[in-house]
Amino acid sequence: MKNKRYSSGDIFIWFTGMGLAISLIMISGLLLLIVLNGKNYFWAADLKEIKLTDGKLVLGEVIKEELIPNFNLPDSLKNKGLKRIQLKIGNRDLYGFDFQWIDERRILSVNYPLDAVSIERFEFGNFYGFIKELIIKETVYKSSSPNFYATLNENLNLVSNLRERIKKIEKSEIGKINYNIEKLRLEIKKIEYHQKNKSIAEKKIADIKKEIEKENLNYERLKRSVDSLREKASMYSIYCEDINGRPKSIALMDVVKYYRPNQMSYSDKLTYMFSKIFEFIFDEPRESNTEGGVFPAIFGTVMMVLIMSLFTVPLGVLAALYLREYAKQGTLVRLVRIAVNNLAGVPSIVFGVFGLGFFIYFVGGTIDQIFYPERLPTPTWGTGGILWASLTLSLLTMPVVIVATEEALTQIPRGMREAALALGATKWQVTSRIIIPAAMPGILTGLILAMARAAGEVAPLMITGVVKLAPTLPFDSYFPFIHLDRKFMHLGFHIYDVGFQSPNIEAALPMVFTTTLLLILIVVLLNITAMIIRARLRKKYKTSAF
Amino acid sequence: MMNKHHKKALFYDKVSKFVIYFGGITTIVSVIAILFFILSEALPLWYGADYNKKSDINLSEKISRKPILIGIDEYKEILFAITEEGTVDFIDIVKDSIIKSIKIDELKDSKITSTSKSILNNYIGLGNDKGQIYLFQINFKSEFSNDGKREIIPDLKFINFVQIDSSFTPITKLTFRVNDNKNYKVVAINSNNEIFLYSFTKDLNDYENPVENLHFSRLDRLVNSKVTALELDNFCEKLMIGTFDGNLIYISLRDDNNPVLIQTIKAFKDDNSPITLLGFILGDQSVIVGNERGKLSSYMRILDDKTEYGWKLVNPHIFQNHKNRVESFSASSRNKTFITGDKSGITYLHHLTSERTLLELIGDSSSIKDIAYSPKADGAAVLYENSKVAVFDINNPHPETTLKTLFGKVWYEGYSKPEFVWQSTGGTDDFEPKFSLIPLILGTLKGTLYAMLFAIPLALMGALYTSQFSHPSIKNFIKPTVEIMAALPSVVIGFIAGLWLAPLLEKIFVSVMLLFIIVPLMIILGLILWNRVPSKFTSRLKSGSELLFIVPLIIIGFFISQWLGPIVELYFLGGDYRLWISEVFNQQYDQRNSIVVGFAMGFAVIPVIFTICEDALSSVPSSLTSASLALGATKWQTATRIVLPTASPGIFSAIMIGFGRAVGETMIVLMATGNTPILSFSPFNGMRTLSANIAVEIPEAPYGGTLYRILFLSATILFIFTFIINTVAEIVRQRLRKKYAQL
Repeated sequence: MKNKRYSSGDIFIWFTGMGLAISLIMISGLLLLIVLNGKNYFWAADLKEIKLTDGKLVLGEVIKEELIPNFNLPDSLKNKGLKRIQLKIGNRDLYGFDFQWIDERRILSVNYPLDAVSIERFEFGNFYGFIKELIIKETVYKSSSPNFYATLNENLNLVSNLRERIKKIEKSEIGKINYNIEKLRLEIKKIEYHQKNKSIAEKKIADIKKEIEKENLNYERLKRSVDSLREKASMYSIYCEDINGRPKSIALMDVVKYYRPNQMSYSDKLTYMFSKIFEFIFDEPRESNTEGGVFPAIFGTVMMVLIMSLFTVPLGVLAALYLREYAKQGTLVRLVRIAVNNLAGVPSIVFGVFGLGFFIYFVGGTIDQIFYPERLPTPTWGTGGILWASLTLSLLTMPVVIVATEEALTQIPRGMREAALALGATKWQVTSRIIIPAAMPGILTGLILAMARAAGEVAPLMITGVVKLAPTLPFDSYFPFIHLDRKFMHLGFHIYDVGFQSPNIEAALPMVFTTTLLLILIVVLLNITAMIIRARLRKKYKTSAF
Repeated sequence: MMNKHHKKALFYDKVSKFVIYFGGITTIVSVIAILFFILSEALPLWYGADYNKKSDINLSEKISRKPILIGIDEYKEILFAITEEGTVDFIDIVKDSIIKSIKIDELKDSKITSTSKSILNNYIGLGNDKGQIYLFQINFKSEFSNDGKREIIPDLKFINFVQIDSSFTPITKLTFRVNDNKNYKVVAINSNNEIFLYSFTKDLNDYENPVENLHFSRLDRLVNSKVTALELDNFCEKLMIGTFDGNLIYISLRDDNNPVLIQTIKAFKDDNSPITLLGFILGDQSVIVGNERGKLSSYMRILDDKTEYGWKLVNPHIFQNHKNRVESFSASSRNKTFITGDKSGITYLHHLTSERTLLELIGDSSSIKDIAYSPKADGAAVLYENSKVAVFDINNPHPETTLKTLFGKVWYEGYSKPEFVWQSTGGTDDFEPKFSLIPLILGTLKGTLYAMLFAIPLALMGALYTSQFSHPSIKNFIKPTVEIMAALPSVVIGFIAGLWLAPLLEKIFVSVMLLFIIVPLMIILGLILWNRVPSKFTSRLKSGSELLFIVPLIIIGFFISQWLGPIVELYFLGGDYRLWISEVFNQQYDQRNSIVVGFAMGFAVIPVIFTICEDALSSVPSSLTSASLALGATKWQTATRIVLPTASPGIFSAIMIGFGRAVGETMIVLMATGNTPILSFSPFNGMRTLSANIAVEIPEAPYGGTLYRILFLSATILFIFTFIINTVAEIVRQRLRKKYAQL
């Protein structure tokens, strides 16, 4: 018995197991890493006050703790297990940087001051320190007074309502005026380009100019009301001090929110987390995408994927039906099948290059020359946009749908087809009533896999219409509501852009991790759905075999 | 009898059949047509140049004396011609008529014997038979009239007029240049072979400001044979002189008071005929040398420590010969092309870097007197001995590309030897684009190689274990996990690799390398311990659940190497592994290097290889394995001697498909490497791959330009390469399936 257990091979079997185990550890490690790091973004971390040996104080959130790498140490201290912590000290406008490494040897004492406040601002990142006074016009409320924070909250709400009103006027009303002026301006260009008769053209242009004047007057009026609102809001401010007593006055207009993490209970922090998640999903990005939410990116991704599906599914299913049901099975069809199969392995950047050359420069350029010659050289369709990006990705994902549909078609038992045909059904009747319904889960699987692939793909989008910050969504209240020529934002590109193009990568890192987490959730959920549908499909045909 | 319903059904059947045929075939064709479109965008790279003759102007009908020099404006509308007696005539090319004629008073009663013209045709020097030189500038001012029409007003601006040779001997050769410091320099030679250097500074826009810093000297002592050609560069520093006995002389005029002879070199091997042509190419690094017999070469200086002054002339390019003496020359002010003309009336358009002769411009058959390349490099005018001028439109979009510039070693300006370089854009307009695809192709292979080194063993071992040894319940968990792994967007992997793994690896590099030793050791140790445990405990566990022990073993191994790493680094690598690497391997450790890419791209490729491998391994017919096991072979013996050989085509195709995936991967490489196109297979530095290169450069590439088309060419290469790999893999797989079906 013992002999058998030592028999040749066990060690190798363990080694092969090692290969698998490493792969599994890597994938779970990666997911864990992203989840843990992504979570930090939402959690209200405590503010640590550290007294240094030189008497200075620092206040901030602990980001990480690590052993000091040997190459940063003199020989005598190597491998002594010395640690350092990275502190997010915020106050970029005061210090010039948000992060600081603190060697544990320099730490004298640690404290968590209850009054320490973390203020999220529209500019310059977080402020960490203490609120001393609330100033409304000339009235000063001291933070030591009772009910101070209630007053503060009340006024913060007031200012935030003002901000909302300003935003509403700027976005919808002034936005509408700008939209109208731009439309009229293009109208003038069009008349100048097309109308050969000078006097008619001049008359029309003069009319339009009058309208532009009118819009400009409206604009002035709105601008005045915005200015007065702003002036009103600017009367509210708070006076703060950082940990070393450096004064800083912050207008309430610049405050997103504030919290005192060191007094928050666990449930407070959970509430905070949910509000933060809500903000992340439904808000617009701030501070060159490193703060705020990713709503435009989510919207862009979803819309792009939907437009793509509109093209991919019908065409992919048609191609699969042709290949499996209608074409004569022979060498040619076999070769075509291999070719289509292999397109799935062609690098995505190649599809991007094709989209740029064909859709944007060739098709878009031609459309511009025929329909919008007056706008040239500013391109309308001859530049990246959501339609071109979706079309490019629909080509990219076409093989996925074709292969999945074909697979589903081959699994439909011959008997079902033959029975229908024997009853006198035409080929189309068989296809539409028997085959397509039966293959529906397969088609769905293909669609979901295609969507998952498209949601995660970045390289081809980078050159066909994704931008780091789109001023407008491709969908709004102006006719024709869906603007397929607009550029859009995308979650995957957001990760690349914020992680690699932003000036302050360290501060952007939590945002990148969070976006990554969201993207992975979307992709993984889509894939799991596809897997479940496929498993059901297989089971169904296993049991319903004739 | 057909009822209505039946008819309708048949009608729909027909329509649907048409739609499916049409739609299906169009979809498939258009998907496959992608390749042809990409290729068609790249092909114009090889179309070469073409030209058409815009007009013929017979100057002898308009001007009484003989024209000796011509120039042309940037819109190719106005031509100017300078005659022997010192008149400047401006001719409207379209209307074929003189619009302005200026007589230079200072040159009255003399004959012009030599001329010099700068690259934009605007600074002109004339030398006459009385030893005088006249320097001026020609300007074309374009003005827009009220109705939007463009009008070009030519103008002449005087610079200087000097008696350069007090003995009144005719000036036979002359070169006149102006540099950015408003330093004007003339080198002239008279019929007694006396060489004069004359320089001054002057601000042309300041009328009050006189000529300053006047310098006058002779350079005769540096040259002892008869001078047949001379040319000064636009920095007014490098003076090239060609002699009667075929020598090329390089004199540095960096300091006018101390001219230095740097080198004298025989311009053409085994050919002592006189040098008749010298001309600088845009950028003033390369000089074109031509001789009496029509031979054409380029020279440039490179740094060389062994020589006295640190410079050495080399001959990087040789061009197509003319049959006769080549004397006329004009360089483009936009790119590295130039036009040469010879005594028998033949004009060639060459490109420096690619050594291509792109065109022969056919105008007249008379000997060529002068050539003027238009400032936008889209046309040229050629003056023939018989006073005829031919004006050409030239369409030359991609002069830089040949198979050699794309795939071969090219000797670029400023390089000490021919090299493979990719550098598509530079800071200045006179930059020489370097379009070698070799660094990118090798970069792609390098990235792929490191990824495969990591992925193949893990994926193969994993697939073998899953298909042969694991318990079904584990298998049901593994397959979806691997599918999730395959679905992870590459931008996520790239981000983790670039921003998390790369900095981490830099800190714990030694520990990570130790993992490769420690983990297998742990496994062996684990097995030995396992075998010591009494069998009454072990036999209770299902076979195939080794994984439950292996995972903790690896994690323990990880901690051990984490602990051991700094110790090893301190005692064996001298305390700093980066120093050690640079001492032992002579390599610099970059943070974003090939090891990071190997891990990241390997991670992306593992599921691809794993899935296909596992599929091939587990579909080996069970009759084979059962027979083997029944004959007493162990599980391992069955796996290696029966299953692996049978499924080897499947494994092969799995590796091929993984290879194809790694070759085209863009985001991971873009984010996890420094994207520097270097030629090195060292694991400690990065690379730039074809795909990342496209992503980096195509947003900046102007539509239809050379870079744009070269990027399409690289996309074509990627497409064809991956397509072939995938097709081979697919065919192999289909054969394997057939084989299984027969077994």
